[in-house]
Formats: sequence, C-alpha cells, structure tokens
Amino acid sequence: MSDEKQQVSRRQFLNYTLTGVGGFMAAGLLISPIRMAIDPVLKESSAGDMANVGLSVDDITEEPQRIDWTIDQVDGWYESEVNRAAWVYRNENDEIVAFSPVCKHLGCVVSWEGSDQHPNEYFCPCHDGRYYKDGTNVPGTPPLAPLDEYVQEVRDGMLFLGEPKPRGEA
Amino acid sequence: MKWRKADLQTYVQSKEYIDTIVLPLVPFGIANDEESKKAAIQSEMITLLSHELEKELTGRMLLAPHYSYLKSADKQTEIARMNMWAAEMKEQPFKHIFILTFDPSWKKYEKELESTLLWLPAVQTGELNSKEMHKTVREQVAQMVELIRAYWQ
Repeated sequence: MSDEKQQVSRRQFLNYTLTGVGGFMAAGLLISPIRMAIDPVLKESSAGDMANVGLSVDDITEEPQRIDWTIDQVDGWYESEVNRAAWVYRNENDEIVAFSPVCKHLGCVVSWEGSDQHPNEYFCPCHDGRYYKDGTNVPGTPPLAPLDEYVQEVRDGMLFLGEPKPRGEA
Repeated sequence: MKWRKADLQTYVQSKEYIDTIVLPLVPFGIANDEESKKAAIQSEMITLLSHELEKELTGRMLLAPHYSYLKSADKQTEIARMNMWAAEMKEQPFKHIFILTFDPSWKKYEKELESTLLWLPAVQTGELNSKEMHKTVREQVAQMVELIRAYWQ
C-alpha cells in the first residue's frame, strides 16, 4: 500500500476474474432452461395465421362472390388440408367484408341469392334460413345470429383471411 | 352431421330439424385384383363425396356409417338387411333415406329398396387430390344438393 499507483491488489484482481468467469459459466448453464421456459411465448401461433385466398382486392365487387381456399390444420395426431369458403363483397362504405358461409342455425352452407324467391339475401337450403346482405339474420327465420365474419387483411393488393369471428351486435 | 359423438349430441337436441339420412354403400371383395382396386376407388370416392355433401347440408342430414357388402354376395340378402336399416331409421323418424352408391348393380333392385337409391356414375380417372377432381366433386355435390332439396319440397 506504500505505492499510490497500485490500485488493484492481487486479491482484488483474482476476485474480479473469478466473478467474471463464474458469471459466464452460470449464464451458459442457465440459458437453455430459460429459453425452454419462455419458448411458448416466442412460438408463432398457427391459429392466427392469415391465408392468401387468391383474390385480388380489385376483383371484389358489390356483388358477393364465393371463394374457396385450403389451409393446413394440425388436428391432434395428423395434419390435414381443410377447405374453407367465404362470401366476399364490398359494402356501401367501400370496406371489404368476408362472411363465413356456415349457417348459424345448424351449420349448413348458405349461398348468396340461393333462392329465387328471396333475391338480395343469403339463403340456407336446409331450413330456409335467410340473412340480409350485411350478414344480419332475417327475423322470423331459424337462424338466431348474424353470419360470422372472417378476420381479414390486405397485403400487396391480395386478400388474406384468418379465422371466422362471431359478430357483435352492430 | 356425421356419425360421431359431438354431432350426435347436436342431433339429439335438434331432432325435429334433421329428417334426412344418407347411407353410403361400399363394395368389398379381395378375390380379384382388378375388381378389388375398383372397389377401393369407389370407397374412397364415396367417402369424399358423402363428406362434401354432409358439409353442405349438415343441419338437416345425418351421414350414416358406411354400409359395406361383398361384391359376390346375394343381392336379395343384402336388400333385406338394408331394409332393416331403413326400418330402424324411419322410426326416428327420418323422412328421407338416401342410399348413395357407385355400383350400378343396385339400380336393378331399386324398387325393392325402402329408401331412395342415388346411383352416381363413378369418376375413376385422375388423381383423387388433384384440382380438377376437386372441381368435379364440388359440381357433383352441388347437383346432389339440388336433388335432395327437390325431395324436401
């Protein structure tokens, strides 16, 4: 301690070195369990995946049109291709709307103007359920809820659809 | 609805809405190599078709499990058995019973059946998973939906 220039003693130097090296070793040991613990957070959810349905936004008109596409679905043991369908049109506010064609009554497939007696409506062939153009169920017909609407996104002029979501009261 | 637990629960709750049952016929026979291959294609096709049809009309029809029969079996015995199935279905009550088949040999016995026989000409060329096949199946299903709806009215 006689020399003022000696700021780090041998003991301090060894302490620093050991702490540093020990820290690295501890970090090396811990990194895998930590990565494993937070893995579910980092994983991309497949449920929220949007699928390109092969329809350009320019081709969407005021007249609902049916589009079909397939998605890969992992269902327990096996992965399978599932067919999806939607009725897509542009509403008065120039917004794109994509309805799921599944009837809210018992799940048949509805079609736009599916019945000659009911123009300008979605029609369910099973029990004559009907929906207006905006997807709202026609009162007095079997369905009790409006058609589900797909989560949608437009990327590079193409329409991407996700999962159908029940509509809130609109 | 399909023949599975979840769908049956819905069926039991809404019996009054479901008055149609579809029974796909599947031939079986392994004695002749060519014949058995044909039977297998028919089975695959009918599974595909009936599932697509079920998807369109879920809310009003029940898809029964496949009825399989030996190609070489005596048709009269099979018809008696099929009529037993039909009798059971009618009690539920299912008003419309459709039998779906690609096998033309049933057509001759149509009158003896206590259900409606829908014979379809089999499409046996091309790959089952190809785009064209999807289109064909979809068109065929659309026409079957039309036909079944005609019976409903």
